Amino acid sequence: MSQIDALPSPSSQYGHLNSVLICLSAAMLGASWLLGLVSVAPNRIVAGTSYGLVAAIGWPGALLVSLLFIAMGGLAIKPSRLHSYAQLCIVTLTLLLMPFGLMVAGHWLIDPTLPQARLGIGAAYWVVLFLLLLCLVEVRLRLGLSRLWTTLLLSSVGGAWLLCAALWLENLALVQEFQARDQQFYRAMLQHVVLVGIAVSVSIVVGLVLAMLMRRYQRLQRIAFAWLNFLQTIPSLALFGLLLAPLAWLAANVPVLAQLGVSGIGATPALMALIAYSLLPMVRNTYIALDEVDPETLDAAKAMGMRPYQRFWQVRFPLALPILLEGVRITAVQAIGLTAVAALIGAGGLGTFIFQGLGQAAMDMVLLGALPILVLALIVDASLGALADALRPGGHK
Amino acid sequence: MIELSHVSKHFGEDTAVDDISLHVAKGKFCALVGSSGCGKSTTLRMINRLIEHSSGDIIIDGQAIGHYDPVKLRRRIGYAIQSTGLFPHWTVAHNIGLVPRLLKWPAADVKARVEELMRLLGLPTEEFAHKYPHQLSGGQAQRVGVARALAADPDILLMDEPFGALDPITREKLQDELAKLQARLHKTVVFVTHDMDEALKLADHLVVMREGRIVQQGSPLALLQTPADPFVESLLGGLERGLKQAALTRVKDHMSSLGQTLPAQSRIPGEFSLRQALSMMLRDHCDRLTVVDQHDMPIGELSLRKVVKEAQLDKVSHRDG
Repeated sequence: MSQIDALPSPSSQYGHLNSVLICLSAAMLGASWLLGLVSVAPNRIVAGTSYGLVAAIGWPGALLVSLLFIAMGGLAIKPSRLHSYAQLCIVTLTLLLMPFGLMVAGHWLIDPTLPQARLGIGAAYWVVLFLLLLCLVEVRLRLGLSRLWTTLLLSSVGGAWLLCAALWLENLALVQEFQARDQQFYRAMLQHVVLVGIAVSVSIVVGLVLAMLMRRYQRLQRIAFAWLNFLQTIPSLALFGLLLAPLAWLAANVPVLAQLGVSGIGATPALMALIAYSLLPMVRNTYIALDEVDPETLDAAKAMGMRPYQRFWQVRFPLALPILLEGVRITAVQAIGLTAVAALIGAGGLGTFIFQGLGQAAMDMVLLGALPILVLALIVDASLGALADALRPGGHK
Repeated sequence: MIELSHVSKHFGEDTAVDDISLHVAKGKFCALVGSSGCGKSTTLRMINRLIEHSSGDIIIDGQAIGHYDPVKLRRRIGYAIQSTGLFPHWTVAHNIGLVPRLLKWPAADVKARVEELMRLLGLPTEEFAHKYPHQLSGGQAQRVGVARALAADPDILLMDEPFGALDPITREKLQDELAKLQARLHKTVVFVTHDMDEALKLADHLVVMREGRIVQQGSPLALLQTPADPFVESLLGGLERGLKQAALTRVKDHMSSLGQTLPAQSRIPGEFSLRQALSMMLRDHCDRLTVVDQHDMPIGELSLRKVVKEAQLDKVSHRDG
C-alpha cells in the first residue's frame, strides 16, 4: 500500500474527466455481472456451484450495486472536490454493503435442512474488493487525505465486517472453518505475532549494533554486507532445511540446549531463519540512515561542544529515525510473510492453516490462514509508515 | 584574548596553514580574508580544536589550548557557520538553548536566556520560538545561528562566513546588526570571509591570507593605504581602493565649520561616510554639502576639495608615522 502511496499525487487536475475512476467503475460493473458472485457447496470438500449477481442477491440488489458503480463512474466525468467526496462515500458504502450481500445470498441459496452446506466467496467479490481499494487510493490522492485517514476508514470497515461475520454469517465457509477451530486460530495468530515480534526486535537490536560497528570499521562493512546478501539469496525453504540437521545434532548432544527448546524443527530454526532474513533490510537501512545525516549538522554539534554520545543520541539518531523506521517496516512486512512458510517446519503460526488447507484441498481453510496474514501485513505497513511520517524532522513531509 | 604563534597545519604532504602568527586582543574584531582554500577556515577551526594544529602555539586567555578539554573549550567559544548548522529536528528555542543546556544551566535560566537572545536578534518569541529551521528564511536562520553562538555568553566568537549564503540586501542588514551588537557586547571575534567589503566594514584587525600564509595584517585603513603587494591591492579592489577608504571615514571627521557663504542645498548626516558624501555630490552635481546632526540641524560643511585633500593628508601622515 505504501508503494502506491509513494506515487506522485495527481491532485489539482480537476476540470477534465478522470479516466482512471471511469475505467475502474466499468471494470467493477463488468466483474459483478460476468463473474460468479458466490458459490454454494453441500459440504467442505465438494466443489461448489457458482451463482451470478441476480441469482445471489436478486434484481433489487443487482440494480443497487450497478447504480452505485454507474454513479461512481458518472461522478468521474466532471471531477471536483465535492464529487471526490461523494466517490469516497460510495466506496465506503459499497465496502460496508459487501457482507450484507453475502447475508442475502446465504439466506436465499442455502438449504436450511443441510447443516454442512456452505457459502463460498466468488471471484466477483475479490475482484470488486481489489478494484474498490484502487479507487480508494485514487480518491485519497485527489483529496490529499493523510495516510492516517485511510487507515482509520479501512479499520472501521474491517471492524464492521468482523461484526457481521460473527453475528449473521454462519453460512459462510470462511466463518465455518473458523468456528470449527477458533481456539486453534487464536493460538496460531498469537504464535505468528510472537514469532514476527521476536524476529523483528532481535534484528532491530542486532541491526543497530552491526550498523554502528560497520560505521566504525570499514572492513567489517564489506564482509557483513557480502554475508547478508548471500543469506538473502538462499530460498527460505532451503534455509529452514539447512538449519534442520545442525540444530537437531546440537539438541541431541547438548542437553542444556534441548532443555531450552532447541531442536531441528519448531520455533528455534524458524526464528533463526527469520532473523537471518530480517538482518539485511534492517542493517542496510540502519546503515544508510545513520550515514546520510548531514555532515554539516554533525560538525555544528561537535563545534557546540556536544560529546560523542550526545551527538549520536541527540542528533544523528533522531535525524536517522524516519529512514530507520522505513527499514523496520520493510523487515516486519517481509517477516510476516516468511513466517507463513515457517509452519512447514512446525513453528506454528497462521501458515499452518494454509498448508493444512492445501493438503485437504479445502480452499476456505487456506483463506483462513492467508487473509489474516494479509491484514496483519497491511496494518503493520500502514502504522509504521504513519509513525515514520510523524517523526520526520520538524514534523514536515 | 587569542594568540597564535608560528602555527602550522599539515594534512599528509599538504600544508594547509604555514607558520602564521596572529594576535587578537580582548574585545577586538579580527577578520581573516582570502580566496577559498587559503587556509582561513582551517585557522578558525584550529582555535576551537575542531582541527588540531600540527606545530606552533595557540593560546587562549594565557593558556595553550592543548591544556583545555576540547569539549569544554568549545562550550566557552561561540561558533556560527555559513549553512547555520541548525538542528532540523529542534525548534528555534531548543536550538538556541543548546550550549546552556550542555552546561547544565537550570531550565528557567535557559528559557530566560533564549528569550533575551531572541529579543536581541529581532526574533519575536511568540512568532519564532516554536518554528523549525525549515520554516525560516535564510536571514532568520542566520540570526538563530548567531543567537545560538551567543547563548552561553562566551567571550570568544568564531564565525565562518556566516553571511556567505545570504542575498546582498539581507547580508548588509545582518552586517549592520552584527556591528551594532559588537559595539555593545565587545566579544573577541574571529571572522572568516572572502568578501573584502564585509571585512573592511566589520573588522578592527584585518588579516589577508594566501596559500596558507599571512600576506599582510593590520587595521583596515592601514591596509588600504599601503597594500603590501599587488595581490592584497587587487583584493582591496584595485582602482576602487580610494572609494573603499572613503567608506571607512566619517563625514563628521572631515567637515569644516560653517562658513560665511550661503549653506549648500544638499544635506548629509555627519555619521555618513565620505564615500556616501562623494556619491551625493555626483548625484546632485555640486561640490559642497551641508553636514547636519541627527536633528537635521547644520553643524558644518564639506567641500569636494577638502575631501580630496584630506585623503591626501591621511596618506602623508601615515608615511610620516
